Amino acid sequence: MPEFQLVSEPLLGGYSEEFDGTKIEEVSDLAIVSIACPVGGSKRLRSAVSKAWNIDPPGPGTAEASEKFGITLMFMATDMYFALFPRSDLPPVERVAGELGEEAYYTDQSDNWVALRLSGAHSADALERICPIDVSPRSFPAGSATRTVMEHMGSVVYCESELRYLLLSASSSAESFLHAVETSVKYVT
Amino acid sequence: MSQNFRICDSLVDRGRTLGFTFNGRTLEGHPGDTLASALLANGRRLVARSFKYHRPRGVFSAGSEEPNALVQLRKGPYQEPNTKATTVELFDGLAATSQNHRLSLEHDLMSISDLFSVFLAAGFYYKTFMWPKSFWEKLYEPIIRASAGLGRLSLEPDPDVYDKGFRHCDVLVIGAGPAGLSAALAAGRAGARVVLADEDFLMGGRLNSESFEVAGAAGSDWAKQAVEELASLPNVVLMSRTTVYGSFDHGIFGALERKTDHLNEAAGKPRQILWRIYAKRSVLCAGATERPIAFGNNDRPGVMLAGAVRSYINRYGVAAGMKVAIFTNNDDGWRTAADLLQHDVEITAVIDSRTGPAPQHIPGASIVMGGRVADTAGRKALRSITLSGGQVVPADCAAISGGWSPNVHLSCHMRGRPAWNSDISAFVPHGDLPTGMSVAGAARGSFGLASALKEGAKTGADAASDCGFSAANFDPPSAEDEPVSASPFWYVSQSRGNAWVDQQNDVTVKDIRLSFREGFRSVEHMKRYTTLGMATDQGRTSNVPALAIMAELTGKSVEETGTTIFRPPYSPVSMGALAGRSRGKNFRPYRKPPSHAWAEERGAVFVESGAWLRAQWFPLEGETTWRESVDREVLSTRRSVGICDVSTLGKIDIQGRDSNAFLNRVYSNGFATLKVGKVRYGLMLREDGIAYDDGTTARLGEHHYVMTTTTANAGLVFRQLEFARQCLWPEMDVHLISTTDGWAQFSVAGPNSRNLLRKIVDENCDISNEAFPYMACGEITACGRVPARLFRISFSGELAYEIAVPASYGRSMMAALMAAGEEYRAVPYGVEALGVMRIEKGHPAGNELNGQTTALNLGLGRFVSKKKDCIGNVLSQRDELNKDDALKLVGFRPVDWEKSFNAGAHFVATDAEQTLENDEGWMSSVAYSPILGHMIGLGFIKRGDARLGETVMAVDPLRGGKVEVEIVSPHFFDPEGKRLRA
Repeated sequence: MPEFQLVSEPLLGGYSEEFDGTKIEEVSDLAIVSIACPVGGSKRLRSAVSKAWNIDPPGPGTAEASEKFGITLMFMATDMYFALFPRSDLPPVERVAGELGEEAYYTDQSDNWVALRLSGAHSADALERICPIDVSPRSFPAGSATRTVMEHMGSVVYCESELRYLLLSASSSAESFLHAVETSVKYVT
Repeated sequence: MSQNFRICDSLVDRGRTLGFTFNGRTLEGHPGDTLASALLANGRRLVARSFKYHRPRGVFSAGSEEPNALVQLRKGPYQEPNTKATTVELFDGLAATSQNHRLSLEHDLMSISDLFSVFLAAGFYYKTFMWPKSFWEKLYEPIIRASAGLGRLSLEPDPDVYDKGFRHCDVLVIGAGPAGLSAALAAGRAGARVVLADEDFLMGGRLNSESFEVAGAAGSDWAKQAVEELASLPNVVLMSRTTVYGSFDHGIFGALERKTDHLNEAAGKPRQILWRIYAKRSVLCAGATERPIAFGNNDRPGVMLAGAVRSYINRYGVAAGMKVAIFTNNDDGWRTAADLLQHDVEITAVIDSRTGPAPQHIPGASIVMGGRVADTAGRKALRSITLSGGQVVPADCAAISGGWSPNVHLSCHMRGRPAWNSDISAFVPHGDLPTGMSVAGAARGSFGLASALKEGAKTGADAASDCGFSAANFDPPSAEDEPVSASPFWYVSQSRGNAWVDQQNDVTVKDIRLSFREGFRSVEHMKRYTTLGMATDQGRTSNVPALAIMAELTGKSVEETGTTIFRPPYSPVSMGALAGRSRGKNFRPYRKPPSHAWAEERGAVFVESGAWLRAQWFPLEGETTWRESVDREVLSTRRSVGICDVSTLGKIDIQGRDSNAFLNRVYSNGFATLKVGKVRYGLMLREDGIAYDDGTTARLGEHHYVMTTTTANAGLVFRQLEFARQCLWPEMDVHLISTTDGWAQFSVAGPNSRNLLRKIVDENCDISNEAFPYMACGEITACGRVPARLFRISFSGELAYEIAVPASYGRSMMAALMAAGEEYRAVPYGVEALGVMRIEKGHPAGNELNGQTTALNLGLGRFVSKKKDCIGNVLSQRDELNKDDALKLVGFRPVDWEKSFNAGAHFVATDAEQTLENDEGWMSSVAYSPILGHMIGLGFIKRGDARLGETVMAVDPLRGGKVEVEIVSPHFFDPEGKRLRA
């Protein structure tokens, strides 16, 4: 037993609030691993992803969810994806590397990001106040994912299902990001 | 006073009564009223004083073109000046006051200036108050400003909240009059995403103000049905109370939505929202603005635009007067007479500037074809008008129509120039319109109702079709084009008294003549000489008449004379809306290091470092100055151990087969030989050879590196690396991702740092000097298998490590380090102590890497390898950057150790004069060194490294002070580096 033990704490203390049916909650059990495709290795990576998770790597602006394997793969750049999945005792990179092998380079991004789930009738209206991307259900249906900037903060928006969004932003400005989202929801509800 | 002028039913809800005050007097109106219509209903004619001459003014229009009826709305800090009464939606409890007068509105002391108006023509101030020069700012200008002007600010912070937003659509329809509704219906029914925006709170435009019929029913009824249908379409967003104020690049529009302006209480919701609307196509249906005709004393309360008079009777059931005289150059004037007659308002005369037979019979009215109005009477309310032939016609309202000007503004915001259409004597949109824009209805010069409906339907359908939607069958409803014959007529040359062209700026025909005589003949010069067309109405009613008058004076056509440039905003936008929610603490986001909460609990003093909030020092009870705290932190660290959160340093994860070669190209010093498990200091140059950033890079694996950057340059370096990877060497297998926020990293520095860390790292991690020497690194576990990284690097010059754990463990790790260090009396230290120790050690930081200095200047010349190609290598060899007398970074200490000096001081020889010519360099960083007991500094001085032991003067003319300093080595403390290798 070590003399000192460390505790992992959610960035926003597990925040969860509902405003007139629209809910904001911190997703604190999310593991994120970046998957970088080696130059010239896209076919091998595609094959590995398909074999491991039964999905194709997503194209620009989208994400692919493999419910069976509990993993969502999100397009981030021409040679980079994010794999999102629930945290477990296994270090995130070990899990992904174990399933995809040496077909990519992996970096643990879990603690780089704060994740908020925004859902409910006014969720798109709230995002309209801070997000320059068109996130209306018609233009940004379930499975859409993109990088953008909200209130000067780099962010990722992922539409999990209609009017249910997963928002990622830098963990160091988690409080400012929550404030921006919360203010928007309060203004539209 | 009880709404004596509300004479008929209309679109206002007379079943409900709203109470409001004007200048403290309680009045009543109804839902659907504007403040202007409610004031007129209550018989209030005099509502304002003019800008310059304090002349009595009344309501002139029924829309946002209003030049006169400006009021201060609400009270206390909520007060907003210069609000147009014609656009303010009435609500219960509204409080308005008139502005720009001394004593009361009725008895304005400053109205005396009107008597001297003959002396106060355009340019008067600038010609008159020339001498003495110094009096302008101190005496003349304050007096002039106090006597002229519009409303006043409350000078208190605005308690309202504002917001911004981003809205996307296929088709943006600007204006919800007949053309706009028709366009929105056509595009909406086709399935396109439509945003329909209108500045009015009631959509329908002139259908609500005229007695037109559409599809066999009242035009307002058709408008209501159209709005209801649009509201039912899920693909249509209706934005009433929204002014599209600007057209920008790529189909982007600015729009101001007045969200709660019509409510007494905003209940914490934004008062206004500034929207950025992204539209694939836009249809401009902004309508047209009626023009007045300038004649003698045409500004008296009661003189109004004829279209406004129709609007007040048809929409609000309010008679603008009970005896109305009409002066027109077109058929609209006659329609005004017909509408008023329907409600038994007496028409005393119709004066038409055109010759020929009267278009219609107006019972009881004098009809004067080819007539002119030369003067009016009535000081605070119109009493009569006088024709050029001397005939006096009694009238408490004069309805004036000089034709219509299409609202082309938004079509011209991208530098488009409208074209003159002589058929309607007006400018119409022409040539290069903003991307994706088409124009329909009166905004295009098609003044007839049927034409507007038809054009709207076609442009709406076309816009939808352009966006990939099959246009649905939408036949515009049946309507008739009303007669719109007009003959240009701008001013009455036989006027007696001033003939006002721009009522908001008190500009007369005479002022335009003066501008012409003095050589200010281009329209842009005329505008600036006379101030015509400025302020809240932006000359909506005055610009075209003024251009026409100038054209006549210069002997050119109006077309040749041209218009002034159209610029956003179309209507004023409050500063609050422009700021949105970016006020106070919300001005920008804050970044907090992982141990922030821990530091906050211990009373740390924070400093903003870019967006980061960093602990500056940790005061203890009894410490009264920051220096006491910082000195203690430095001494404790140097004597035992200190802990500092350095998570803000940029961290970039670099992987790939070519990572090593990549690093060797982006750093100026060699990286090819860096072994796994080792860290190396690296210097980056810009392409031009100037130092860009420095930091360390650790090799964690064969193809895996972690680069650290300075806090300030983290983003810049990442961008630079991405550019190099993507553009310079795309063939390289290199992959980058920031991990700055992912790791909580702590510097553990001081002679006891190893002892402390031995209690933190897991047993299998040997951190002895032999196993883990200076510049070693490794991926380890700590505190029971928590993944961690350990680096043996030192910024302080002490035996030091940096240990990193995932950021979510940051607060816990800080607490664990402090607990583990308790037996060594470990202290947390902030960035101030960090800075002191780095100066003592002679490390350059942001003050030295300031974008002007080279590796040579910094004493890092050996870090620019001549054996390899790297960014900045070639240009760093320029002669100018390698002169013999180049600036060199050295240390400075006061000759008299009791003396102090400042960063920013400049060096001159001890016997030289303090002049720019004698400047030899500057002090870049200073600190009090508690370990040395005196001030120390780093700075750049010519040939510094060859002048150790010399003394020079550090002079600080800005703050005062002059101190003799000795040039010394920049390494004040442990120059051999024994401590950090211990």
